[in-house]
Formats: sequence, structure tokens, C-alpha cells
Amino acid sequence: MDILYLLVPLSIVLVFLVIGLFWWALQAGQFDNIEREGERIFEREDDRIVGRD
Amino acid sequence: MKSDLNYPHPMNQAVTASPLVLPGAGPLAPTASDSAGIFGAHRGPLTVSDNFEVLDDPVEQQDFTTVTHADGHAQAESVLMVQGMYCAACADTVECALQGLPGVQSAQVHAATRRLTVRWDPALTRMSHLAQVVGATGYRLLPMAQALSVSERLRETRQALWRLFVAGFCSMQVMMYAWPAYVAQPGEMSADIVQLLRWASWVLSLPVVFFASGPFFRSAWLDLKRGRVGMDTPVSVGILVTFLVSSAATFDPSGPWGDEVWFDSLTMFVFFLLGGRYLEFKARDRTAGALDSLMNRLPQTCDQQTADGSFRTVSVRRLQVGDTVRVLAGQAFAGDGVVQSESATVDEALLTGESHPVLRRRGESVVAGSYNLGGPVLMTVERLGRETRFAQIVALMEKASTEKPRLAVLADRIAAPFLVLVLLAAALAGWYWWQIDHTKALSVAVAVLIVTCPCALSLATPAAMLSGAGALARRGILVRRLQAFETLAGINAVVFDKTGTLTHDRLVLFSVAVRTGSQAADALALAAALAAGSLHPVSRAIVQAAAEQGGEGVAPALAAVQELAGQGMQADRADGGWVKLGSAAFCGLNAGPAGDTQADSPCAHLVDERGWLATIRLQEGVRADAREAVEKLRELGVQTWLLSGDRLAAAKLVGAAVGVDHVIAGASPEQKLVEVVGLQASGLRLAMVGDGLNDGPVLARANTSFALGHAAPLAQAQSDYVIQGGRVMDVVHTLCLARDTMRIVRQNLIWAALYNAVAVPLALLGYMPPWLAGLGMAGSSLLVILNALRLAGKVPTAARDTEAPALATA
Repeated sequence: MDILYLLVPLSIVLVFLVIGLFWWALQAGQFDNIEREGERIFEREDDRIVGRD
Repeated sequence: MKSDLNYPHPMNQAVTASPLVLPGAGPLAPTASDSAGIFGAHRGPLTVSDNFEVLDDPVEQQDFTTVTHADGHAQAESVLMVQGMYCAACADTVECALQGLPGVQSAQVHAATRRLTVRWDPALTRMSHLAQVVGATGYRLLPMAQALSVSERLRETRQALWRLFVAGFCSMQVMMYAWPAYVAQPGEMSADIVQLLRWASWVLSLPVVFFASGPFFRSAWLDLKRGRVGMDTPVSVGILVTFLVSSAATFDPSGPWGDEVWFDSLTMFVFFLLGGRYLEFKARDRTAGALDSLMNRLPQTCDQQTADGSFRTVSVRRLQVGDTVRVLAGQAFAGDGVVQSESATVDEALLTGESHPVLRRRGESVVAGSYNLGGPVLMTVERLGRETRFAQIVALMEKASTEKPRLAVLADRIAAPFLVLVLLAAALAGWYWWQIDHTKALSVAVAVLIVTCPCALSLATPAAMLSGAGALARRGILVRRLQAFETLAGINAVVFDKTGTLTHDRLVLFSVAVRTGSQAADALALAAALAAGSLHPVSRAIVQAAAEQGGEGVAPALAAVQELAGQGMQADRADGGWVKLGSAAFCGLNAGPAGDTQADSPCAHLVDERGWLATIRLQEGVRADAREAVEKLRELGVQTWLLSGDRLAAAKLVGAAVGVDHVIAGASPEQKLVEVVGLQASGLRLAMVGDGLNDGPVLARANTSFALGHAAPLAQAQSDYVIQGGRVMDVVHTLCLARDTMRIVRQNLIWAALYNAVAVPLALLGYMPPWLAGLGMAGSSLLVILNALRLAGKVPTAARDTEAPALATA
């Protein structure tokens, strides 16, 4: 059972890592416009290029 | 913004607007340091250090402020967005901060939309000062256009999602650490392992308590400073007490607080509460979407024609009345104006609810906010900014949405003492259980605190009414007062004005009298050929009538057609004769040749070289959907009346055509008022439908009122509802929606009351653990919001989806 003394603190570190990862993704705008990304497929090609501009 | 940007995506607006804008926009434009401050890991009350000077800039102000002059005094009314608001109690904080300041006449904040309407005296105070005072209480005022810009909204959404994720992820992990303690038999786990898991839970609870719960503490602290009790006070007390007691148990298991830990319950109910708030936030976004999509419709820039005929891209604020601008396909018109090009196909769906593209010819007007669907169009600007129809509509909607309905005020008033009772009940319950069972006392007290938060009660009414108003706005029906839903749902009679309401302004063919030996169809065709080039209403009606008859008649070829303004048309026939179409005087007739019983209905005479040929009589056309609307109203158990200033015969004719129950004719405006009062005295609750122009007093006197059509300047219309599209059926739709809205308000109130009636005793008796209390509270708020959102789909929208491409993300 001694391994738990290593694994439990490690899991805490892991949680903070995941939270940090999510923070990065959020800041990078990955969750800003979830519906919009799904709708993009309906757009005409040229609109999309303008939209990315 | 690039001029070739067809569909202005909000992202593009946010990114590209800044270079062009606007002298002095600096402090409000989000800067790097600004966003870092808001995103910092610990977030107390907003630290607002902006100097807000930009709010005093007149050019900026015209976007969110109207100035009226009454007996020598200027009075300004501004609508701003309040950033940092979480619940109804925050609205009070901001209102209290502003009221009582010198120069402020009134301040009203609407909690659900976070909009502040403040009336102030420009001579006594400045906008920047007001914003600083509000900033001192921990909220930031933003001008509407800026507040709605994507960057601000993005920041708020990200922040909410971020807190939600931290709480959710940590609560998952804490639950895993708690799991062994629940399933292990006594003695199976060594004391060291138990302690290790508790420390781990404690570490992961820290971000949940000190970061994710920030909004609850912040608003509770603001309430505390003002000596009040708000929605978040019990929640904050619950979170803090649970955390402190659990921490004490973790580090000093033999201490007075016992050795129970609640980290799993704590993190989970913070997660549930934040989840509820997040969904509410999203729902509010969607409800306010109709208004926002209106606001975002005007372009930021446009192509202005310079003296040498070339075009340059300028900010809309640099435009002046009389400028010529070019509007490309897919762009919105920046102001009201007159078309200079041959023709333009425009989409006015969002303004009028009219689903089909409308053709506008040279010289006809287009309204700001409508979309150009065809090729590039040149137009001369006639009205800009606050003067446009578009701005008037937005102003109306803003006004309506900041008004608190009577029921909501009542709910807020009940909520405050209720919260004090909750705190007392929790303390009492805790004390009582302490005598029986130490370990249970805390969980009972916390459960009572959390389960009773009256959020659902406070949200019940405004959520439903706003959702209803949003649904109507998408159809082109504007609600000026949310209160009007309550009145409209209770009416049992609808009184229609005749002209411009049941009938439209366009004339239609009534009869054609011809001299013996001629065919009516031929005469009509001849008249139509003459009238084809004229814009006079009678001419248009004749052309229309001839077209509707399918071109049965045969008209001779005409040459040298000319119009004598105000009199008629004349032309030469190919066979050498001539024809004239026009008034009796113009045609050389001294009176109507046939026995004339309807002297004042409009008519046109047709004469040729042999004398009188035909008389074409016209009448006001009954609106196509009037009959259907009246029938529907009867099915709904509502009486219909026609109240007209016209002669009895004419009124009866229209009345019979649409099938109203009762007709009152020949009434002067004063008599109309008397009639309305009389009907009300006989026990009827009236909705008056008029054109909003001539019926002001009557509309105001009726229990509730509709203005129909385009005639009235919107801002002056005296009615509760303004129907833009001129469809009588919209009255029926609005009535049905008002009834639905009130039904949902009642459902919401009953649900909120029932929930508290069931949950509070359960919590007091100790049957409800804190996590379930959190779930119940968040769930009840969510249910109220979702119930209200059902209204959004209740109004049949026009055939095509009226949302423009650019609005899809709103």
C-alpha cells in the first residue's frame, strides 16, 4: 500500500496539469464558438476564406 | 473592416473594428493588461480603474444616450451594460449606488439582461462620474455597442466555463478520494491512508472554494457591505462553513468539530450551482439574442462616395446626411436613405417580419439594418444614428427589456425577508440537531441554506416575459412594456380601428361603369395603359386591378402619354383619337354621370373624343388576413368590435367583409374615447388595435393596445405593442403568446413555491444531504428557465428563417 503515498500526490499533480491544459485550450479560443464550428460546413467555400481572413 | 466582407462574422468585427474606431475609444477597447487582470487567478470584486472619459465623448455617447429637452432643461437617458452582475440582488446594488447622486433622476437595472437605464441631467453630472461611482461598487459600465461586442461576451463566457471546469474536474477527483471511505469496512484502511486521502481532498477543494466559488462570495460580500441579504448570502455561508469545518476535521481530527469531512459534497454542490448559472447565462444570451442581433446589424463602416466619384471606406460615424454611399451585396444599410441605383432587392425581415425580399426602385426609401441582397446599390443617406427607424426600434426594445414587470417586483420584495428567514431557519436547525447528533447538525444547516435560495422565484416572471418578447421580436412585433403581457392575456374584446387597420392604404377596384356598347374589361385595360407610367395611388390601383383581371381587355396602342400632376393622364390613340383619365373636372364632366351614391369614394373617369367612356370606382382594400384574424379571435372567445370615424354604410361594408361582431361608426376621436370607456364600464377588457397615429388617446385608454403598420413614428406610438409587418393575424399570435406566457409564469411561480414547500421541510428533518440540495436548487432554476424558453418556439415565424447569416452566432 506504500505506493499510494506516491500515487495520490501524483494524481493531484495530474489534476492540476489537466486544469492547466484546459486553461490553455480555453485561452486559445477552442471553446468560444462551439456551435459555429459545426455550422461552418454549410458555408460556401469563398465565404469561409473571407471569414478566416 | 474589409469592404468585401460579405457576412460580417462577429469575430471579424471584433478584430477589425479597432483600427478604424473612433477617437478616444482607447480605455474601453480591451487591452492585454485588462484581460490579464480579469483572468487573474483570484478574483474579488472587479477592480475598476478605468477613467471612463470616453463615455463623455459626444460622438461615442450618441450610441447609447438620447437627450431630450423639456422646459429648458436637457435630460439624457442612457442605456448601458453592467459587467460583473450575477443575480437580481446585484441590480439593487447598482441602482442604489446611482440613485441619490446629484443629477441622477432615476436608475433602473434589469437583472436578466444586465442593462442599466439611467436618466441624468447633463448640466449637473457627467457620464464618466456615474460610471466611476458604479465602478466603486465593483461593477463596470459599458456602452451598449461595446458591451455587445464579441470580445466582452467572449471574456464572460470563458470565465464562466473556466470556473465550471475547475469545479467539475476537482469535484470528480475529490469524489474518487472520498470513495474508499464510503466503501471500506472499519479497520480496512489504515489511519495514515485515511489521512492522506483527506489531505488530497483538501488540496483539491482549495481551487473550488477560493477560485470557482468567487462569484458567490463576491456578491454576498457586496450585499453584506450594504447591510442586505442577497441570494448568494446563504450559499456563501454554506460553502464557507462546510469548508472550515472539514478543514478543521482534517488537521485536528480530535478537535471540537468532530472528524467528519464534507469535501465531496462541497465541491459537488459548487459544481452544480455553477452549472446552473452557466446554463442560465447561456439561456439569457439566447433570449437577449433577438435584441442583440438587431444591434449588431448596422455595419461599422461603409463606402462613401467622394467628390470625384470614387469610394473610400469610412466609419459610419463619419457619415453625414446627404452623403452618397455604396452598399455591396450582402451588406446592411448603414442609415435610412433613398435608392439612387435603378433598383435594389432588400431583406427587411428582422425589421418587419416580412419574409420575402422587397424590391425598392430608384427614389424609394430603404431602412437602416436591412440587407442588400442584389448587386451594389448607391443610396443617399437621409437619417443616421438615433434618427433611423432601426435605432427607434432598438430603443423601444431596450426600454421594454429594462422594465420590471409587476410580478417580478413582487417576487423580489418577497425574496429579501425570505432570505433572512432562511438564515434563521438554518441556524435553528443546526442548533436543534447539534443536541441530537453532532455530525448531522452541520449537514442539515448547510442543506437548508442551499436548498432554499429563491433564485427560481425571482427568475420565474422575467425569464418567461423576456422569452416571449424575444419570440415576438423575431416576427416583427415589438413589445413596449413587458407588463402588457399580463393585461393582454386577460382581455375579452378586441376593438379595431378601420382605416389602416382592417383595411390597408392601398386602393382596390370596386366597380367599373361603362357607356353602352363598351366592355368593362376593355375600359379597364385602356385606363391601365394610360396609368402605367403614373405613381398616383389611383393609377397604381387601376394598373394592379387590370393585372389581376389577367389582361382580358384589349387596349389600343397609345402615344404621347403625359401626366398632368394632380389632375390626370392624357394620350393620343393610334387611330387619331385621344383619351383622358382623371378627375371629373379634368375630364370635363360636371358630376358623376351615373346616379352617384358613394360620392366620396375615390374614382377615376375615362373620356375620349366621343365623351364619357367609363368611371372606375375604387375602395379601400380589406387586409387579406383580417377575416381569418377575426375568426380566430372568436374561437379564442374574444369579442370583436369595429370602431370607425367613417360613415355607417362604409363601416358596415368593411365590418361584414371581415365578420366582426359589432360595428360602431361615425365616431369622432372624442366619441371613440367615450365608446371605449362605455365598453369598459360594461365589463369588457379591451385591446385596441389602431394605426397608432390618430388614435393616441383611445389606444392609451384601452387596457392594452396595438399599433399596426408603418404609419406612426415608432417612438411616439402610444401602444403597448407595435406590429411592424401590418398583418392583422399578428394580433392573434400576440394574444396567444401572451396567454402562453402568463401560463408559463404561473407554472414557474407554482413550481418555485412547491419546490421550496417540499424541499425545506426535508432539509430541516435531515433527509437532504448538501449535494442533493445544491442539485435541487440549480435544477429548479434551470427548470424555470427552460420552461420559459419553450415560448421561443410558440410564435409561428415567417416562412423563411428570418435570422441573417451574420446573426447565426448571436
